[in-house]
Amino acid sequence: MKQRPWLFLAPALILVSISAFIPLITVMNYSQLSLLPGSAPYFIGLENFQAILRDPAFTGALARQFLFSILVLITEIPLGLGLALCMPNEGVGVGVSLVLLGIPLLIPWNVVGIIWRVFTRSDIGVVPEVFSWMGMNYNISQFTADAWWTVLVMDIWHWTPLVILICFAGIQAIPQEYYMAAKIDRASPWKTFRYVTLPNLRGVLIIAVLLRLMDSFKIYAEPFVLTGGGPGSSTTFLSTYTSRMAIGGFQMGRGAATSLIYMFVVILLSFVIYIIMLNLGQGAGEE
Amino acid sequence: MAEIDVRDIRHVYEKGTENETVAIKRVNLTLEDGTANALLGPSGCGKTTLLQIISGLLTPTDGQILIDGEDVTDQSPAERDVAQVFQFPVIYDSMSVYGNLAFPLRNSGVPEDEIRDRVHYVADLLDLEDILQDSPAGLGPEMNQLIALGRGIIREETSAILFDEPMTDVEPYRKLTIRRRVKEAQREFGITALYVTHDQHEALTFADKVAIMDVGELVQYDTGQNLYENPTNTFIGHFIGSPGMNLFDCGVGESNGVPYAELGGHSITVAEKLHSRIDPSWTDCQLGIRPNSVEVAFEEPADTSEYVPASVNQVELHSGFQIATAVLEGSDVEVKARVAHDDPVDDGDFVWLKFPGEDVRLFHKQESLEAA
Repeated sequence: MKQRPWLFLAPALILVSISAFIPLITVMNYSQLSLLPGSAPYFIGLENFQAILRDPAFTGALARQFLFSILVLITEIPLGLGLALCMPNEGVGVGVSLVLLGIPLLIPWNVVGIIWRVFTRSDIGVVPEVFSWMGMNYNISQFTADAWWTVLVMDIWHWTPLVILICFAGIQAIPQEYYMAAKIDRASPWKTFRYVTLPNLRGVLIIAVLLRLMDSFKIYAEPFVLTGGGPGSSTTFLSTYTSRMAIGGFQMGRGAATSLIYMFVVILLSFVIYIIMLNLGQGAGEE
Repeated sequence: MAEIDVRDIRHVYEKGTENETVAIKRVNLTLEDGTANALLGPSGCGKTTLLQIISGLLTPTDGQILIDGEDVTDQSPAERDVAQVFQFPVIYDSMSVYGNLAFPLRNSGVPEDEIRDRVHYVADLLDLEDILQDSPAGLGPEMNQLIALGRGIIREETSAILFDEPMTDVEPYRKLTIRRRVKEAQREFGITALYVTHDQHEALTFADKVAIMDVGELVQYDTGQNLYENPTNTFIGHFIGSPGMNLFDCGVGESNGVPYAELGGHSITVAEKLHSRIDPSWTDCQLGIRPNSVEVAFEEPADTSEYVPASVNQVELHSGFQIATAVLEGSDVEVKARVAHDDPVDDGDFVWLKFPGEDVRLFHKQESLEAA
C-alpha cells in the first residue's frame, strides 16, 4: 500500500495543477514566443524579457509598485496593531467593533473604487469640497500627488481592518500569565509591549505583513476604477501595466514575460521579509 | 525575608452579577519568615485565588494582607517585593537566558555591573551557567521554569516567592531535580515561600508546613506528619495519604463506663485519652484508621477478642506493598489494609483485622475529637 498517500494527495494535486502548474507552464511557454495577432507564433528566446526590462514604462511601474507597497506596510501594520491594542476585549464592544471592521472587507474591490471615485469627483465629491473649504485645490485627474495619496488612503481604509482583525486575534491568544509576570518583574508599559506583546505577535504579524505585501503588490481594481492609472501613468502599478501589455496591447508574449518577473519579485520579496521578521528583535537585552 | 499575614481574606468573583462565585470564604494564615510552605487542596478550592491575592495580582473583596506587619492590601505586586512563578513557564523568548534573569533588575534600574554579578550568582545556584547566552525558546519547560524561578529570586529585596503549581508542565522524572534546586534556592536566600499544588507528594516534600484548603476555606495548617497522623477532619484524613484514611460512619456506645466505637456490629476500642470527650448519645460519628495501622492476621489468632473477621475482596499491588480491601463480617464495611508485598493474601481469603486503639481516630460531625 505504498501508493496510498498519493491517493489522498491526488485531489489536491489535480486541483493545484489545473489552477497553478498548468497555467504557469503555459505562461512560461508564452513568455518565449512572439505572439502577435495576425501572425503565427514563433520562438524568440529571452527577447521579451530584454524588451520589458528596457521599457521605462515597466521600470516606472515597478518602482511605483515598490513605493506603494512600502507605504502601505509602514502605515497599515503599525496602525492596525495600534488599533487592535485599543479594541475592547470584553462586552458588547467586541461584537460591535468586529462588525464595523468587517464592513470594508465585505465590499468588492471595484465597488470600493467606485465609492472613492464618487467621493473624489470634482463636481459632486465630498473630498474636493472639503479641500476647497480649506482654500486648497484638489483634483485627482490633474495632480499626481492627489491621485497618489487618494489611492493610498483608499487602500488603508480598505485593508487596515484586516490587519486589526489578525492582530486582535493574536492579542487574545496571549496568555494572561505573561502580563502578570511582567507586572511582577516591574516592566514598564513600553517594556511589556516590547517584550511580551510584540514577540508573542511575531507569528501573526508575519502573516499580516506577507498578506498585505502580496495583496498590495497585486492591487488592480481599485486604482483602475478610481484613476485609470493616471494622471499620465502616475498611478499605473505592475498589474495595470501587465494587463495593458497583454490585453490592451495584444502582446501576449510580453505580458507573459512581465507576469513571470512580477511573480519572481513577489516571491523574493516575501521570502526576504519573512526571514527578516523571523529574526527581528531576537537576542535583545544582552549582557 | 518577610512574615506574611493573611487576615480574614474573603474573595468573591463577579460580585453582584448572576455569575457571582465565592472563591474564598474566610482565610486566616500566617507564614513565618523564611519558611517553606505549601498550599494544598483539590482543583477549584481557591488556592490560586489566594496566591494571587498574596502576590497582589488580585485585590481581595474583604480582608488584609500584611507583610512584616505592614498592610499591603492596596499595593501592586512590584511594591510588595513578592515574586511569583506561574503554572506554565513564563519566559521572554526574544531575550537570552541572561536577558531574562536580568530583566527585573534592569526594570528596577540596577547598574549593569551589579546585574552581571547577581545574574551569575543566581545562575550558578540554579545550574544555569552553561546556557546563559542561549535563547530559552528551545530549552524545554523544566529549564524554562527554572529561568522563571531565577527571575523570581534575582532581586535581593524579594521577600517572598509564590509558586502556582509550577510542575504542571515538567516531565515526572525531572520534577525531583527541579524541586531540589527550588528548595536549595529557598534555603540559600531564606525566602518565605508558598507553593500551591494539588499533589500532596509535592507539598509534603517541599514544605515545612502545609496549609490545606477545601471549598474556599483553610482546613488545617500543620506539619506533614501531623496532617497524616492527626487530621482535624475527615476531609484531610481522606485527602492526605495514598490511599487515604479508612473512614466509616460509626456508632458510639458505653459498656461498664468505658466508651467504644461500634462498626458494622463489632465494637472497636478507642484510645483512653478520648474517653472523656465521647458522648455516647452522639449519632453523627466517623471512625478513621490509616491502612498501614490496620493489623492483618492471616491465621485465626489465639485471642480473637480484639480482632474482627473479614473477607478479602480485592488486592492491589503497589510499589513495595499491597493494599487489601476486606469486608467486615456481617456488614458491608470495606476496610483497606496495607500488607507486605509478599504476604499470602488473595481475593476471597478470610482474615482477621485488628484496629489498634492508639491509631483509631474518632470524628464527630466530620471534626476530629483530638482537635476539639
